[in-house]
Amino acid sequence: MTDEENKVTIETGDTGKGTSEMAEPANTEELEERALSVFSSERNEDLTALVLCLITTFMVLLFTKWLV
Amino acid sequence: MSCTKEHMPVIVMGALLLIYGLIVQTGVLLPTMKYLHTHKAMDLQVTLSLIFGGLALVGTIINMVREPGDTTLDRFFLQPLGGIILIMIMAMAIRWYLEPLVKIMSKSLQPLLGFKIYKVMNLNYVVLGILAGVVITNTWGIPKFAAPGVKCARFILKMGVIMLGARYSFAELAKLGVYSVWLIGFFVLGTVFLVLWLGKIFKQPKSMTGVLSAGMGVCGVSATVAVAPVVKAKSAEMAYTIGTILSFGIICMFVFPTIGHMAGMNPVQFGAWAGTGILNSAQVAAAALAFDAVDIKTLKVAEIFNITRVLFLPVIVLVLATWFGKQSGQKLSFKSVVIDKFPIFILGFLILFGMSSAGLFSPPSHYKGKYIDVSYNDRTQVTTEEWETLDGALAAGDFSSLDPAQLAAVTNLVEQRQIAGNYDERNDKKLFDSVGRGRMAQLEGVLAAAKAKTISLSSDVKSAIKHAVKQVHKKSKTVVTLTDFMIWFFAFGLIGLGMQITKKSITQAGGWPIVMGVIAGITKATLSFFVVLWLVKDVVLN
Repeated sequence: MTDEENKVTIETGDTGKGTSEMAEPANTEELEERALSVFSSERNEDLTALVLCLITTFMVLLFTKWLV
Repeated sequence: MSCTKEHMPVIVMGALLLIYGLIVQTGVLLPTMKYLHTHKAMDLQVTLSLIFGGLALVGTIINMVREPGDTTLDRFFLQPLGGIILIMIMAMAIRWYLEPLVKIMSKSLQPLLGFKIYKVMNLNYVVLGILAGVVITNTWGIPKFAAPGVKCARFILKMGVIMLGARYSFAELAKLGVYSVWLIGFFVLGTVFLVLWLGKIFKQPKSMTGVLSAGMGVCGVSATVAVAPVVKAKSAEMAYTIGTILSFGIICMFVFPTIGHMAGMNPVQFGAWAGTGILNSAQVAAAALAFDAVDIKTLKVAEIFNITRVLFLPVIVLVLATWFGKQSGQKLSFKSVVIDKFPIFILGFLILFGMSSAGLFSPPSHYKGKYIDVSYNDRTQVTTEEWETLDGALAAGDFSSLDPAQLAAVTNLVEQRQIAGNYDERNDKKLFDSVGRGRMAQLEGVLAAAKAKTISLSSDVKSAIKHAVKQVHKKSKTVVTLTDFMIWFFAFGLIGLGMQITKKSITQAGGWPIVMGVIAGITKATLSFFVVLWLVKDVVLN
């Protein structure tokens, strides 16, 4: 069996960073790297969402309260 | 040339949006909008079309002249631009055309079917948006230019949750928080132990039951990925588990609202049930908005339960690590799960809540951005037709059965054409306000008496008084605009969610995980249904 045959395709949706191929047997290091990578992308996503929300809120306040 | 061809879909969509915005602006579509009951959103249609049309064209020009990079601007605007515009067009088409058409059609089919199909199947813009996304992704597929934009859906959904923070009061958050910690704590840990016990009964490997218990107990895919290294899950077990969670969640998302309506659940009960029983954050929001897309009360309750559930993840990782006999991995320690996995969007939610509580969006004396304004204002007056109706009714003695205070309030409404205090006392704001509010209370009493049929008034007179009362109930423009943004973020995010529901992700479910997952999921949904009906009353938010 080749390495390619031993890979399993996992469709995790966007939460788990989409489709990925992983080795069939348990590989803790690979799983840990994957989890950390998911955490990191979630953190970036959350931070950007937070910043954009604050900008949106500021603009809303500007045009509906402070400049009116 | 090839570069222009690549960007052509976005250019076309941008141009179409601009043309649509200009057509709406001319008023040509007003009769159609009145037929669809969307004419009140005419200004919003123009604004959104022009803004997104402009963004599409400007973004495309930048994409054409600039080398692609990996900056925040690239990742969150330039690369996903095509998908963002596509989903936005879908959201606008569904909200302003498809949903009203479905309502009109289902009303016309009511005599034949005996029920309104849109009510039974909860066919509001949220469900229609998700269904449209599912159909597109599983038939034609997501167009290449839109793929990065579709991935933004979850992130925009989080923006919706953050904005939702502006709509809670301290009392609500405290009351719901206590309920949610108890209920979620019980059901999350209960599900985890149930799955572990089922694994023992069915003699399944610890790695599989561990990963499935986290997925079914806490927050779906995210929890599965976090727990997989802790319990040393095999890749096939992860695939089976994720497939099971996604399939179960999708079924719940469509079934929960119908069951909730059939069981006569109130918004608070349904929100608590959806937040407890459904596994995925986006699916919780979808179910809550499918149950009631007009009032955000259900969504508010569901999101508090959802946030509490997400916060339980480190506790579950610790429980499973102890159960599996593993303190920490080489790279992934318990500390990193707590710190790295901490959902920062919840901080955003709390920041917006703090800003709202500090009175930044509306004065603290207002209730959730709503307030009563009885000061003189042309916009607060009843219409000429309404005034003539009231004046005629007063002259004809239609109000003779009212008590003196109610009659005085009606007489004053006819004199001043609006609910207000006495003109002579206008400089004493406190007195003016209290007299105006008193008159409003008397008029509300007239409406209540008419409703209880203790007095008889024509529908035109009731409608005129109702309008006068409504006119003095104002809403903070800031709160209304923030809520509009939030609703559009959710609408956008949920269409994107639909586009991520692929046959492949569902059909990967299988093996023992699907058996154990279905048993655990149905047990959790059923038990939480009864517990919520028994424990959670509508008074939580009153």
